[in-house]
Amino acid sequence: MNGQSSHQQQNDGRHDDDAALTDFLASLMDYTPTIPDELVEHYLAKSGFQCPDVRLTRLVAVATQKFIADVATDALHQCKARQSSIIKDKRDKQQKDKRLILTMEDLSKALGEYGVNVKHQEYYADSPSAGLDPASRDD
Amino acid sequence: MSTPKVKVALADHSDRNRLPKADFRSCAVLAVYKVAALVPPLLPPFRFFFDLAQLNPKSQGFCLNVVGMMINGEISVLAGLNDGDGKDSVKFSIERENRHSKRLGFDEFAQAIARIAVAQICEGLGFQSFQQSALDSLADVGVRYIREIGKVASSYANLGNRSECNVFDVIQGLEVLNSVQGFSGFSDVAHSLSGSGVVRDIVRYVGKAEEIPFAYLIPDFPVVKERKLNPSFAETGESPPDDHIPSWLPKYPNPETYLNLDSKNEKEVKITVDKEVQEVENQREVERPLMNLQQKLICNGSELGFEQRAAESNPFLAPPLRPEEKEVSLPILSFKLLDEAVGHHQNHVIDENHVSRANEVATNGTCEDEDKCKILSNGRPNIHFKFRNGKKNLGRMETSPRVECIEKLSLWFGDGYDGKDEKKRILWQNMEYPPELPHL
Repeated sequence: MNGQSSHQQQNDGRHDDDAALTDFLASLMDYTPTIPDELVEHYLAKSGFQCPDVRLTRLVAVATQKFIADVATDALHQCKARQSSIIKDKRDKQQKDKRLILTMEDLSKALGEYGVNVKHQEYYADSPSAGLDPASRDD
Repeated sequence: MSTPKVKVALADHSDRNRLPKADFRSCAVLAVYKVAALVPPLLPPFRFFFDLAQLNPKSQGFCLNVVGMMINGEISVLAGLNDGDGKDSVKFSIERENRHSKRLGFDEFAQAIARIAVAQICEGLGFQSFQQSALDSLADVGVRYIREIGKVASSYANLGNRSECNVFDVIQGLEVLNSVQGFSGFSDVAHSLSGSGVVRDIVRYVGKAEEIPFAYLIPDFPVVKERKLNPSFAETGESPPDDHIPSWLPKYPNPETYLNLDSKNEKEVKITVDKEVQEVENQREVERPLMNLQQKLICNGSELGFEQRAAESNPFLAPPLRPEEKEVSLPILSFKLLDEAVGHHQNHVIDENHVSRANEVATNGTCEDEDKCKILSNGRPNIHFKFRNGKKNLGRMETSPRVECIEKLSLWFGDGYDGKDEKKRILWQNMEYPPELPHL
């Protein structure tokens, strides 16, 4: 009796999950992810993925978008933490340093959390003024 | 000696920028030179670099590279050296063409789109700017993420004996990729895929995140050109000429295109083989001195009707004059240079000779008719060489920086100036306190 009810419950739960998943997939039809469908389709086709369903493409797009957003959020936190520590030291440079710039340094730390080991290329020359205001670039 | 392959190519691609590529890369110098003689606007710069290559073994590699690039259309054809400003025009056109010939690499379009999308996501999160390398890496990681999902999903689909993926394959792929981070319900081995923690996370993200559509409209890519096949026998309604040919095969080309060739076939094959053998021999002769090469070219050039016709309209195409057939003003060397060259370096002198000879050949090489010669030689100013000794004297190392500076100054006052007197004069003028020289 007990076992049967738990089985029932499981079944109900599964039905709920299925319904939720179906609803979610249906809602993806109206949702436009930032990563365009064409790009996702192109790369999925390259990796041997075959499916004409747009919803699946959108699902992959949304998942990738979430991944990138997670990484970028971590990098943003790194950036803010670094800036607050710098500002403690030099208050006069506060204005200049306040811009939030995605740097390789922060990104490699953030990606490290996700199992991607990226190092700043040793001899890669990003221009030192990259991402700064055109006005502050002259200083 | 002429190379039939080259001729055909030129007939097809009269436009110099569309000269065929692969054939010429491996072409021997002689063959390249031959092409140069056939294409009117290529001639003067070609000749210049070839002469230079032949005369100066040090610069040979560079010169041949330049010629190769000219043929490939990577460098535009130069305006000609007879404006007396050859070097500048060479440099200019190399730079300009580099910008033009930067072709899109494999998959660059998709990568650019990925970069834009990632930049948009980052902007939505609050980033104001980015380093280019960071954006590139993040976009690359994102692209790899997509491909990894596709790979895992399709392998799960194949495991289930399907070729098309479904939602559960994708979810399994996502679970595999998220297993580094972990997600709720990961520990339960028998958890249902539809209620997976990964999916719930994504649902939450979609509900929370702002919807930022991609900034541009994208055309469908990659563009695949449709191949146009020749119609088959069945499509045109003809019956194949023989029973053993099935009707679905493409039909024969026009009979006129192949019927007449049969009789000459063997002879022509022999001729072409001979020519190819000769070509290979020519390739071995590449390292012979220039004068030998040029004389051969003169003999050969007159055989071609094409060249003769072109020579009437274009002075550059006329066979070159032999040395000493026409008087040309020699380059004027400054006295200082001569003195220095004799005094310091023997090598220096040799180099000068090379260059001046190269120029002589370049001036000699291009005209046949008298009046055309006049136009050319009149339009060309005398060539003045200015050399400076790049190496410092040993003695200078002991002099003070101030004296060295003055020595540099003295260079501004021309050749005949006595540097030492000037040095002293400026030294006295510039110093607030008189120098501790014995005679003051």
